[in-house]
Amino acid sequence: MINNLVFSILIFIGLYAIYIKRNMIKIVIGLSILESAVFFWVIATNDNGGKLPFYQVAQNGIEMIDALPQALTLTGIVIGASTTALLLTFIIELDKFTGTHNLDNLKGLDD
Amino acid sequence: MQILEFLLLIFLVLSAVMAVRFDEELISIIFLSIFSLILTALYMLYKAADVALAEAVIGAGLNTAIFMSAISQIRHGDSD
Amino acid sequence: MHKNFKKIAAVVVFILMGIAFYENFQLMPAYKGLGEGVSNYIIHNGLYDTGSLNLITAVLYDYRAFDSLGESTVIFGAVSGIVLILSRKMLPVSSRGLSFIVKRTLGIITPFIALFSIYVITHGHISPGGGFQGGVILASISIIFIVIYGSAFDYTMLSPDKKTFLETSGALTFLFIGFLGIALDGVFLNNLNIFNGKIGSLFSGGSIPIINIAIGLKVGAGLAIIFYSMIQKTLERSWVNHD
Repeated sequence: MINNLVFSILIFIGLYAIYIKRNMIKIVIGLSILESAVFFWVIATNDNGGKLPFYQVAQNGIEMIDALPQALTLTGIVIGASTTALLLTFIIELDKFTGTHNLDNLKGLDD
Repeated sequence: MQILEFLLLIFLVLSAVMAVRFDEELISIIFLSIFSLILTALYMLYKAADVALAEAVIGAGLNTAIFMSAISQIRHGDSD
Repeated sequence: MHKNFKKIAAVVVFILMGIAFYENFQLMPAYKGLGEGVSNYIIHNGLYDTGSLNLITAVLYDYRAFDSLGESTVIFGAVSGIVLILSRKMLPVSSRGLSFIVKRTLGIITPFIALFSIYVITHGHISPGGGFQGGVILASISIIFIVIYGSAFDYTMLSPDKKTFLETSGALTFLFIGFLGIALDGVFLNNLNIFNGKIGSLFSGGSIPIINIAIGLKVGAGLAIIFYSMIQKTLERSWVNHD
């Protein structure tokens, strides 16, 4: 129950940073927090007090924890880092081009 | 172990709140790095060793370095 | 007034969404244990099918190796996008580096970091680790060179052309193992019988160590190219060593 509470609070913080903040770096930070919240919930729910899924630590299969969510989380972490790098490249180029990285100063249809 | 898990969860939420608050971007990135570090400790507490190793090298190493190199090229002071 | 009203309305909607998530996940049934399903099959038959002690490596590089191929493609796409936007034609130099104490200390430590990364990559089926983690540690060596010694040093050590060659050779090795599976067994990315030693030794696990090395090279070179492209470069001719 505490895991669900922390998960929903982190989702609220991530969505707040994506939708309401005007600084583009804050938006990317909010996306990163949102992805980390989902990975945290996937690992925290599958914890039933067992041992590592290794055949040297646990001698038979009954006292292991689930091995499948860890593989999915590993893939997700690497993809999240690549997406963040690409988004930051766009912000660097936009700042060189227009001189600002704030969404309030980027009005293109005003004239 | 219950008290340690409870304290780490409280610090996780606090560092996430601090990461979206400040106007200057350098402080936000440092709090994001602290968030990733506490998440690594939590993964180890839930007995996920591979995920903890991956989060340690990617979250606290590569992500912070890429954010810092992006901040050094933009103008500061365009707040919020 | 209008802007404040929109902000307050958005915050209220997100709080309601957070409460909805919490209530919805509270209604989920409790964890039924590992008595049935895919996880049960993996835990009971993983060691016999693949030969690796680490079950997560068995899932990532034998049962779901196709997903690892997709993830390598995502990293390749990100690297291509970043190099397309940020590449320059002149020889770029970032700085002269940090002070002498830092350079000497990291000169002693860096070979041990490289040794640790090779250990993590090749022992992926015996201990926690694998291709992805070790590859990122290799990329962090390149980050150390750029930050502490200046980007000209990293350019002379391993230029971006050589890094591109390493990345593409890692991807092509992965695909070659896949098509070898079709040629020998009839199934794409089947586990071949290349390394079949005793279970628990280094040379065991079928074709898992080769896939580990290929993915480690690809991820390491790709992330090093990303960081090299993103730093700020100037054209200061006095910092470049002409040879």
